[in-house]
Amino acid sequence: MSRGKKQAKQKITWKEIKRQKVLLIWAALFVIYGFIFYYLPLGGWIMAFQNYKPKTGLLHSKFIGLDKFKFLFGDATFIRVIRNTLAMGTINLVTSFIMAIVFAILLNEVKNVLGKKMVQTISYLPHFLSWIIVTGILHDALSSTGIVNEILLKLGIIESQINFFAHESYFWPIVAFSNLWKETGWNAIIYLAAITAIDPSLYEAASIDGAGRWAKIRYITLPGIKPTIMILLLMNVGNVLNAGFEVQYILGNGLVQKVSQTIDIYVLNWGISQNDYSLGTAAGIFKSAVSIVLILIANRIAKRSGEESLF
Amino acid sequence: MKRKKLTALLLTVAMTASVLVGCGGGDAGGSTETAGSPETEGGGSNETAGTSEDGKEIIDFTMFIAMPGPEINDGNEIQEIIAQKTGVRVKETWLTGQTAAEAVGTIIAGGEYPDFIDGGDGQMALYDADALVAWDDYLDKYPKLKEMYSDEEWDRFRQADGKIYWANIFQNTYGESKATTHNDEAFWIQAKVLAWDNYPEIKTLDQYFDLLERYKEANPAMEDGTEIIPYTILCEDWRYFCIENAGQFLDGYPNDGSVIVNTDTMKIEDYNTSDTTQRYLRKLNEEYNKGIIDHEFATQTYDEYIAKLSTGRVLGMCDQWWDFAYTVNDVFKQQGLDLKGCNYVPLGLTIDAGMDNMWHTYGDTQNTANGVAITTSCKDVDAAFQFLEDCLDQEIHDLRYWGIEGVDYLVDEDGLYYRTEEMRMQCANTEYKASHLCGYSYLPQYLGTSRDGKNAMQPPEQTSEFFASLAQPLVDCFNAYGVTTYVEMVGSVDKETGPWFPMYSFSNNMTTETPGGVAWTKMGEVKHEWLPKVVMSDAFDSAWSDYMTAYSGCSPEDFLAEMQTELDRRAGQAQ
Repeated sequence: MSRGKKQAKQKITWKEIKRQKVLLIWAALFVIYGFIFYYLPLGGWIMAFQNYKPKTGLLHSKFIGLDKFKFLFGDATFIRVIRNTLAMGTINLVTSFIMAIVFAILLNEVKNVLGKKMVQTISYLPHFLSWIIVTGILHDALSSTGIVNEILLKLGIIESQINFFAHESYFWPIVAFSNLWKETGWNAIIYLAAITAIDPSLYEAASIDGAGRWAKIRYITLPGIKPTIMILLLMNVGNVLNAGFEVQYILGNGLVQKVSQTIDIYVLNWGISQNDYSLGTAAGIFKSAVSIVLILIANRIAKRSGEESLF
Repeated sequence: MKRKKLTALLLTVAMTASVLVGCGGGDAGGSTETAGSPETEGGGSNETAGTSEDGKEIIDFTMFIAMPGPEINDGNEIQEIIAQKTGVRVKETWLTGQTAAEAVGTIIAGGEYPDFIDGGDGQMALYDADALVAWDDYLDKYPKLKEMYSDEEWDRFRQADGKIYWANIFQNTYGESKATTHNDEAFWIQAKVLAWDNYPEIKTLDQYFDLLERYKEANPAMEDGTEIIPYTILCEDWRYFCIENAGQFLDGYPNDGSVIVNTDTMKIEDYNTSDTTQRYLRKLNEEYNKGIIDHEFATQTYDEYIAKLSTGRVLGMCDQWWDFAYTVNDVFKQQGLDLKGCNYVPLGLTIDAGMDNMWHTYGDTQNTANGVAITTSCKDVDAAFQFLEDCLDQEIHDLRYWGIEGVDYLVDEDGLYYRTEEMRMQCANTEYKASHLCGYSYLPQYLGTSRDGKNAMQPPEQTSEFFASLAQPLVDCFNAYGVTTYVEMVGSVDKETGPWFPMYSFSNNMTTETPGGVAWTKMGEVKHEWLPKVVMSDAFDSAWSDYMTAYSGCSPEDFLAEMQTELDRRAGQAQ
């Protein structure tokens, strides 16, 4: 896109428009789609500044200014929820990011095609399971009679069963692990594709120069997929606050609610359950605002250091 | 090759279609669907349309009940008979995987309602959203429906705008009461545990846990080798009352649910901070550390809890009868565990000996907080009211609760209904219940005596049925204590509750509009976290004081003040 600026300005003529008619119609369709589904709903943000009631609707509810935001930031629970979301989001980002790259590189080193394909298929299948199922499996595996406790007991590592879901300190690692298990294989696919795109002659040349496996990974594979890594990192940073809803919602319980609740759960509790749609919207706006700021910052940093950037 | 492509294409289409259909089915709101329109349910097979006895087309209504419940099969036999007779068929959808408030909130946000709804904790939100049809213009046209409550009782259902929008259908006795079960909360204990100790007098919490301890010492495992669990506590979501409200009962107060009403001073008291509650939690903490209480109690879900009880491993718990008995007792019957004394009997415990208990409420408890309502999405409000009316017709009522004569029950020469052992077994069978029985359990119904003056409205209350279906260990247990029913087993004093009772019908419908409502929500959050934490802690006293700090941080005084205002209003109104 940045290249476009440098080119001389092209004059738009009717002839040109006619020539690109089909393309323009297609493009227009997507613009309309985007407008309807991404921009139009933003009108609902007005709720955050009203005392919204379903009875009076958007048009006739009373405006109350920033009251809802004041309530939010005066609520200790909301502050805690932000902390949880950020923490789990960052843990997820870092672990899943690193694991995906490591996994892709390791898989790429496997020379047996059949074995490689099999591992790849098996590893990305969990991506297609719904969180309900994944959390169900986790819940069973980590229960006091579950396989994890059984193994730890048999190996003599612990003396009595651990109730994994009753301790605040285990919750984040459990969430991170479940994310890794579910998404690593899937996330690795894009890196594998990027690796395939690296010119094989580079590897051959390196071999002639006496580079071993390790050196090849370090000096060819990693730099080769660096642009992909940067772009994905940028996109994921914007997603940090989407630390999840299902996992925390289903695995959480009263005992660990201090560390388990995310912004999404807070929105559900206050917005939907307590019918305070305005408060829910306010929390949602806050989340979007923070996400945008995070993306901008990450993008700026990437640009500064001369890497790929989103815009 | 071509063929392969075609197959692939077909598969894709089929899958997309199934996804779309799936979406349609998952719609929590559901929508009015009249059998008259041919395109009901995304082109799925619609075998159930048809006409009623008087030749009119059968109307299909939808109903959402914000409680988990058993879904019955399409084409359920009794449902079809009722549809033939009344011209109305109601498709019930139950709460799954959400809290009641969440489900109702989602429906409101969607703006499309089922025809009938019981919003549970979310009922008030429906009223606030103008989603309900007022009953005032209709009630006089439907005498049977109107008969459900006296004018004074109907008045209690009136909302802020002075109109009636719903009627609670539970705990409503027709004619003479036939109550045999203790359909309330209690500390329950398996009959076999009492039998093992030769039916001792258990009056206090200490005696109760002492018995559990001794029993566990002597019988650490069941016959098949599974380890027993002496006591478990359900803490999930709204069902955490199992740990939360015992304090009020142990103090000898009835189930006002969220507060204690001190009848001497007419003041609201908070049982969360009372000495009795502290002693109760201290006891639980002590037993937890002794290994008497299930170590997983705090993290178990309702389903896990029911599954645990159904194995017969759990000796005792504190719970409401309706929360476990219908499911668990049926399983016991099917598995033969009832004959081994696994059935639970209620104990009316108090914190100290020699106190009166009020675990059982003798009169009907009129919970005005929620009930069946008709929504503004309903296209034929008159037909909906007519169906509520028909539900109370004796013939339909018998079909709903007794089933089909000759198949589900027999009539003896005195006109008394009875069931054979085979029928009882069948009616406890889950599959049979889904394909044959149709109770419409959240539509208007009666307890007490049938209009024929002989039978009970519902089988569990039929005295002869009750005794005939009672397993031998329960009979032995009742005999040993010199009682005949669950109600007598609890032995609550028969003291009339005030006109304000139950106070929970007010707190259940509080919203975050008021400071009291915000406090109530926050108190709930704190209690959900701290009650299990206090029970599981190594050092009770410091945990308790941490809990109290967190609790007072929610400003419970705002909540209590609003409860006091409501109490004054209710008490004043009655005078």
